[in-house]
Amino acid sequence: MTASSETGVLIEHLFRHQAGRVVARLTRLLGAEYVALAEETVQEAMLRALQTWPYHGVPENAAGWLFRVAHNIAIDVVRRDKVFGSKTDGIVAELTRSGTVVPSEPDVEEQLRDDELRMIFMCCHPALTRDASVALSLKTIGGFSVREIARAFLADEGAIAQRLVRAKRQIRDQRLTLDMPAGAELAARLDSVLEVIYFMFNEGYSAQAGADLIRQDLCFEALRLGRLIAAASIATPRVHALVALMALQAARLPARVDEAGDLVLLEDQDRGRWDERLIAIGFQHFNRSIEGGDVSEYHVQAAIAATHARAIDPRSIDWRLILELYDQLLAINSSPIVALNRAVAVAKVRGAAEALAAIAPLEHDPKLRHYHLMLAVRGQLLLDLGRTGEAADAFKAAIACGCTDPERRLLERRLKTCM
Amino acid sequence: MSHFMLLLYDNPTDWSKVSPEEMQKAIEKYMAWTKKPFTVDSKRLAEDHGRVIRPGNGKPRATDGPYSEAKEVLGGYYTIEAASYDEAVARSLEHPHLEYGGTIVVRQVYES
Repeated sequence: MTASSETGVLIEHLFRHQAGRVVARLTRLLGAEYVALAEETVQEAMLRALQTWPYHGVPENAAGWLFRVAHNIAIDVVRRDKVFGSKTDGIVAELTRSGTVVPSEPDVEEQLRDDELRMIFMCCHPALTRDASVALSLKTIGGFSVREIARAFLADEGAIAQRLVRAKRQIRDQRLTLDMPAGAELAARLDSVLEVIYFMFNEGYSAQAGADLIRQDLCFEALRLGRLIAAASIATPRVHALVALMALQAARLPARVDEAGDLVLLEDQDRGRWDERLIAIGFQHFNRSIEGGDVSEYHVQAAIAATHARAIDPRSIDWRLILELYDQLLAINSSPIVALNRAVAVAKVRGAAEALAAIAPLEHDPKLRHYHLMLAVRGQLLLDLGRTGEAADAFKAAIACGCTDPERRLLERRLKTCM
Repeated sequence: MSHFMLLLYDNPTDWSKVSPEEMQKAIEKYMAWTKKPFTVDSKRLAEDHGRVIRPGNGKPRATDGPYSEAKEVLGGYYTIEAASYDEAVARSLEHPHLEYGGTIVVRQVYES
């Protein structure tokens, strides 16, 4: 991996990814309770890069530079602050040894990936709430700042900062470590890791057109973490299923918005704009996910995404298979959102009338009654049936529910077709 | 072509909250400017306050820097080529340092 080229152009997200990697390494050497110290150290190293590179040029191995300088800063801090007491000399020796390795060498790369993996597993410890796990993962492994996390979750910066402080206190109080769990505990932890990654991905993916690009970054960070785990020896078919699902869905991101910033529904998307590289990655992991008998929600979701990806054009989508998969998904996860998505497949296979009947129970669900997507689907089905008056009412109700600007514009266009 | 020195004073804005991504973006902007053909030389000064040496009463004495009254610290310098002050200033105005709250002092290098 070349970190920089002659023109001094850095590879995309180098700092963000390098931040996560070095924080993981330093935390492993300093101890989990010192994750904040590791973060400050890495921040300081990057600041030094900002102060010196513009005058002296980008070093040939930018990643290696950051790695080494962060270690040197950590050594100074450990010596100065004396918080480690009698362990000081030992830690300094460890830091010195770690700081002289070459991060791009294959065996070192592997150790560093192992550090990151342990960090992910600690961040997703069941002792932490899911919100805390997500924020902590993004901050420590993802290299996101508090402000970026807040922006991605449309949350208040102070609230995210608080959440991180609490999470770090819990790491200390509960004496969480970077030790990998084993046996049944490993399986359980892996499930919660996947859950956090999937949540992170969905948060980014649900971002609608025109929304901040930072939300797409969430998708790619989730995908990166998933692939990191998929490459490790502990990977299970379920891990591959999640990676397949995320890669296949993320492949569509470039096609979800048109030039005017308007939403393009899956069926109307220009498939030429789907990311072929991600589709290839998706299928690669999909093939590995079906080794063994596990059929998780991720498997079924990945199979649905794969069915869409296999269709050359919208007319050749195998809706019958998709409906079968939604039936299967509903059996695993009977959420109203799944039922709503299934209704779209019902409409394609058995017609709008049956689909309308299928979502009828959802209309009484207090959580969904004012959910704009439910109303939008209902409006579309009514429109397909020629019941334009009722369709218009549904679209109006959907607009009134509150949605993003591009969603509203889409609904308004639909509403016009009812007139 | 004349030479001009650009003295870059850093405004220690709170970089502790700036994300790695934003720092990379900032470096990329700085680098883009530095790569321009008119840049002759550039150096960063070390992160300390330096020493000040004054004549004293016949016996010069060195004291530690801090220019505590000055909020901005001289962080580094560039030497650039420009036909005139106007051009040197125009080139400096495009420097991203200003975007990040820093100050630039432009001085012409004396040529006999």
